[in-house]
Amino acid sequence: MGKLPINCEQTQEQLTEWLSNQLPDAEGAIMDAHLAQCPACQAEADSVRQLWQMMGQLPTPEPSPMARIRFQTMLDTYKETIADKPESALDNLLTKFREFFTPKLAVRLAYSVALVGVGILAGYWFNHATGPNVAYKQQIDTLSTQVQEMRQMMMLSLLENPAASERLRAVSYTEEINQVDSKVIDALLTTLNNDANVNVRLVTLEALAKLADNPTVREGLVQSITRQDSPLVQSALADVMVKLQEKRSIKPLRQLLHDDNTNHMVKGKIEQTIRDLS
Amino acid sequence: MLQVKAGRIDTMGLLFERYNRPLFGFLFHMTGQREASEDMVQTVFYRMLKYRHTFTGDGEFRSWMYHLARNVIVDHSKQNKRSSQHYDLADVAEKIGGGTTADEQFQKKQELETLHRAMARLSEENREVLVLSRFQELKYEEIARVLNTTEGAIKVRVHRAMNELKKIYLTIENGKTAYKL
Repeated sequence: MGKLPINCEQTQEQLTEWLSNQLPDAEGAIMDAHLAQCPACQAEADSVRQLWQMMGQLPTPEPSPMARIRFQTMLDTYKETIADKPESALDNLLTKFREFFTPKLAVRLAYSVALVGVGILAGYWFNHATGPNVAYKQQIDTLSTQVQEMRQMMMLSLLENPAASERLRAVSYTEEINQVDSKVIDALLTTLNNDANVNVRLVTLEALAKLADNPTVREGLVQSITRQDSPLVQSALADVMVKLQEKRSIKPLRQLLHDDNTNHMVKGKIEQTIRDLS
Repeated sequence: MLQVKAGRIDTMGLLFERYNRPLFGFLFHMTGQREASEDMVQTVFYRMLKYRHTFTGDGEFRSWMYHLARNVIVDHSKQNKRSSQHYDLADVAEKIGGGTTADEQFQKKQELETLHRAMARLSEENREVLVLSRFQELKYEEIARVLNTTEGAIKVRVHRAMNELKKIYLTIENGKTAYKL
C-alpha cells in the first residue's frame, strides 16, 4: 500500500460522502491519510466542510401548528369519501342516477309529463264531447220516429175524415211515410175497398201499387178486384195487375168478366189483361 | 404505509407525525416559500392516500414520499411560474441565531444569509441532491431511488453541486466585500 492510494481528484469527489459519514471506514481512513499529507486537498476539504457545516446551521422553519389540523381534516374528509364509495352496487347505481338526473333533465321530464297530461286531458274532453253528440243523435232519432208516428196517426185519422179532399191528402201522406206498417196498409186497403169517392179509391190504388213489394198489399189488391164496382177502378186495378204480373188475379178477373153488371168496355179491358197475364 | 394501503387509513396519522417536518423542510428548502410548502405538505399527504395502491412496499416509504413531493413541486412551479422564483429570505434571516457576542452573531447571520442566497441560486437538480443529502440526511443510495438513478450518478451530482454552491457563495461574498470596500 502506497502512501497516496488515491489521487486528489478522487479525494475531492469523495469529500461530501466523507462529510456526511457515508464513507466506509476503510475508505475514510485512506481519506484521512491523504488529507493529512496533501495540503491542497486539506484546504479544499476545509472549505467544503465549512460550507457543509454552515448548511447544517441553516435553520428550517417549523411547520405551523395549523398543518396538523389541516391534515386531520383532510384525512377525515377522505375517510368519509372512501367510506361512501364501496358500500354497495345499489349506492353506486343511485349516485349514477343522481349524476344522470340533473336539474335540466328534471325540467325536461316534467315538461314531457305535462305534455302527456295535456294530451290525456284533451282526449278525455273530446271523448266526452262526442257523448252529447250521440245523445243529440238519439234525440233526433226519437224525434223523427215520433214525427213519423204522428204522420201515421194523422194519416189514419184523416182517412176517416168525411171530406173527400182530406182523405185524398191522407193517402198522399203515405208517400212521405218511410216505413209503412201493417196498420197503414190495412187502413189503405179498407179505403180502397170501401171509400165512397172514386177519386179517393183511385189515388189509394196508386199508393198501394207503389207498396206492392209487400205480400199483404199484393194479396189485398187481388182480393179487392171483385169488390170494386166502379169501371174506372176496375180497369185501373187490371192495369196494376198487368204491371205486377200477378197471376193470382186471373181468377177474380174472370169472375168479373162473367158478371153481368160489369161494364162492357171494362170487360174488353179484362179480356186483354187475362191474355197478357196468361 | 402498507397498513394504510390495506385500508387502515388512520395509520396515516402516524406517518404524518413522523414525516411532516422533514417533508416540510425539503419542500421549504426546495422552493423557499413557507406557505406554499405547507400547502404542498398537505398535497403530498393527500396524494399518498389517493395513490396508496401505487405504493409497492419495495422501497422505503421515505423514498416514495420524496418521489411524490418532487412531483408536487413540479406541479406547483408550473402553476406559479411567475412567483416561483421568489425566495423567502426573511423567514430564514429571522431564525438565524448562534454566536455569543453581538458581533459574532451578526457575522454568522451574514454568512448564513449568503449561504441561503447561494442555495437559492443553485440549479434545481443540484439543490435537490444537496437538500436531500444534507438536510434530509438521506444516503446516496436512497437519493438514487428517489431520483430514479444510480448511486454513482448521485455521488457525482452531489460533488458538482457542492462545487457550484461554493462558487456561488464565494461570488456573493466577494461581491459584498467589493461593495464594502
